[in-house]
Amino acid sequence: MKNAGHLSRRQILAAAAFAGLATLAGCGGDGPDDADDLAKKRDGAMKEYRTGQQFTASEPLTFSLLNLSNPVYPPQADWLFWKELTRRTRVTLKTTDVPYSDYEKKRSLLIGAGDAPLLLPKTYPGQETPFVSSGAILPVSEYVELMPNYRDKVRRWKLEPEVDSLRQSDGRYYLLPGLHEKVKSGYSLALRTDVLGRLGLALPTTWDEVADVFRAIKSEYPGRHPFSDRWNQPEPAGALLQSLGQAHGVRAGWSYLNAGWDAEAGRFVFTGATDGYRRVVEYLRTLVDEKLVDPEGFTQSDDDAVKKLLSEKSFAISANPQELVQNYRYNLERQVKGATIEMIPVPIGPAGPVVLGGSRLENGMMISSAARKRDDFVALMQFVDWLWYSDEGQTFARWGVEGVTYTRDGGTYRVADGISLMGSNPDAPKDLQKDFGVYNGVFSYGGSWELVSSAFGPDEKTFQDAMAQRRELPVDPAHPLGADEQEQATLWDTPLRDHVRQNTLRFILGKRPLTEWDAYVRELKAKNMDRLIDLHNKAHQRFRKEHG
Amino acid sequence: MVNAESRGRRVFRSVNGLILTGVVVVTLYPFVTIVARSFSGERQIRAGEVNLWPKGFNLTTYRIVFQDGTFWRNYGNTVFYTVVSTAVAMVLTTCYAYVLSKRNLRGRGVLVGVAVFTMFFSGGLIPTYVLVTSLDLKNTVWALALPNAISVFNLLVMKAFFENLPDELEEAAQIDGLGTYGILLRIVLPLSKAVVATMVLFYSVSFWNSWFGAFLYMDRIELMPVTVYLRNLIAGATGGTGAGAGTEQLTQVAANIQAVTIVLTALPILSVYPFVQRYFVSGVMLGAVKG
Repeated sequence: MKNAGHLSRRQILAAAAFAGLATLAGCGGDGPDDADDLAKKRDGAMKEYRTGQQFTASEPLTFSLLNLSNPVYPPQADWLFWKELTRRTRVTLKTTDVPYSDYEKKRSLLIGAGDAPLLLPKTYPGQETPFVSSGAILPVSEYVELMPNYRDKVRRWKLEPEVDSLRQSDGRYYLLPGLHEKVKSGYSLALRTDVLGRLGLALPTTWDEVADVFRAIKSEYPGRHPFSDRWNQPEPAGALLQSLGQAHGVRAGWSYLNAGWDAEAGRFVFTGATDGYRRVVEYLRTLVDEKLVDPEGFTQSDDDAVKKLLSEKSFAISANPQELVQNYRYNLERQVKGATIEMIPVPIGPAGPVVLGGSRLENGMMISSAARKRDDFVALMQFVDWLWYSDEGQTFARWGVEGVTYTRDGGTYRVADGISLMGSNPDAPKDLQKDFGVYNGVFSYGGSWELVSSAFGPDEKTFQDAMAQRRELPVDPAHPLGADEQEQATLWDTPLRDHVRQNTLRFILGKRPLTEWDAYVRELKAKNMDRLIDLHNKAHQRFRKEHG
Repeated sequence: MVNAESRGRRVFRSVNGLILTGVVVVTLYPFVTIVARSFSGERQIRAGEVNLWPKGFNLTTYRIVFQDGTFWRNYGNTVFYTVVSTAVAMVLTTCYAYVLSKRNLRGRGVLVGVAVFTMFFSGGLIPTYVLVTSLDLKNTVWALALPNAISVFNLLVMKAFFENLPDELEEAAQIDGLGTYGILLRIVLPLSKAVVATMVLFYSVSFWNSWFGAFLYMDRIELMPVTVYLRNLIAGATGGTGAGAGTEQLTQVAANIQAVTIVLTALPILSVYPFVQRYFVSGVMLGAVKG
């Protein structure tokens, strides 16, 4: 195969640029006569479409959709989901199935080749940026008038700042994000509660208490490291640093971004050089120094980390609710007699009980600008609004058909008898995702807390309820870069990020003394840290001036 | 002569043997592990107990995979795509190579140049995609067979082989009244079994293993070859933990299911090797003399 291999970033950019040339003509169409024009694009649309109303097209319609094929539930033509969707809305979705493994590649290719389906879901905030200048993607912000449910949720859940952060340099946004009513957290620490109980320790709630608990475990098991971590690719200790950074009010680990908003100073600063980031590093340095944290835990594979936990070489590990139940607890119960393990809400640090800003946006949908030229454009927007943003649509996508795939009793949802959901009933003959196409990540994300929490197991419920009480840090204000600036920023971004990543690890492991912090900041300066931050600050001010 | 082996030679041979045994072990180890995993229980795999021998032996995993409709449909696709693509590739490559092997052909240099040019330059991903799409080849076997029908490397090997055949044979055939096609089909090809078998092997292995073309040009899961299925399965198990990846949407595919799929995918093409191998060696050698 001549073309076998990966698409490089440059190829993707080239693809986007190519699409831009091809479709530039199509994006100039939202002038003053736009409203008139929209009136002509109402084929199949409902005359009056409001929140709480079932969308049903006035004539059968077909829309194309880029469909992620999840290896756990590859798409089947006979899914109840498709049939029921068409029955309710008279819309048939024509799918282009793309394997999960290479979804982003194919999406770039199709957009670049001008062959993209109308609906491009599973797009994470930020991923739409490379396509914006090409004009291949619809500036959806101009058409949210057609989406009552979407607007209603943004307003009721006060998501305007989050949504504003998606705006590009022209003041519009190009992505319809997934919306959460409350923050849904993913990762924290899990600890061996039986060991804690034996030592008379309570579950820690702050990072200082975490250190104390580790010290107590250490004195009981002097030869072992109480904590040995996982999730080291591509970011070493990505989950741990993310939680710890959050407690210090900075983006670290998986959520690391070079430019972070300093609300007090009212400007962007370089995350890897902030005091908060330094405290994160210092904290871990101390723990590694006291041999409380396994130094291998920053580089080892997930498998090795779990093996250490199961063989009692360590007693705590990073966790998410699923791994806790399906992996740690499941295996510990079989291998270590009397072992119990629990996940704690993310420990609190100097920043208080907070979660990072912007955590309420999920992956969402881009719409091809080709949609705007179709006569059924209004119906398309109404359809998207209903399926992805209305309570009824979201419930349907998550649970399916009441009485067939699930039963409901007040706020409690249960899968129907004989159906399993993510291993809930291993003996059931049918699976909600595999056999019905329901609870599918392409259609089901975000939503009201009632809906999101309806599938939580008991452990996750406790965890999420605690986390949902936390205050959300302010979202970074919009600071979209122009196309040239974007290119420049990308050139500076990567080396800086690599340098931060490398040195974070070296500081933590003690390979570089923390007294060299200033030297490290000087190195960042030499790598254009200040110029990068200037770029973002200028973009921020420009955007504020132009778009308020 | 056997006794005449010097001491140095014997030492060399045993060291050689040792090193090569090492290489064999290193090469076979992953295969053996995968096979062992495919017969093991998931718990044992997760606990890292499975090495060379299955632990918690069971056939349930095979039963589960055998019942997966998508897997078999994709498996059938792979067989179909491989057979059709290899057939097309063999016909086109043979004809092209045979023509190029004629020294008296006018414009031969240009024809070789055209082929070699594509070795170094390609149209690029997007133009190729646009071309295939606008020819309406998408979602058909032709999207896989045609763009890869001629591998320049294979073409040059075949050309060298044909050039090596004595001209006198063809002259004699001509005198006896055979035309160009008659010579190719009745004289040249029967004498070229070695290179033909080698090329069939080269082509079929590469078509069997390829996934990128299908990933580009196939829009429905039921059209994908099994390699895409496998790739998706493995990526699903390893790629789900990045920032923002919805964990709830990506339950891990069990390690034993992965292992079974790998075994079933690799098995047919592995079992072809021993049968073609004798042609394989002589074919490549013959081509190499004048390569």
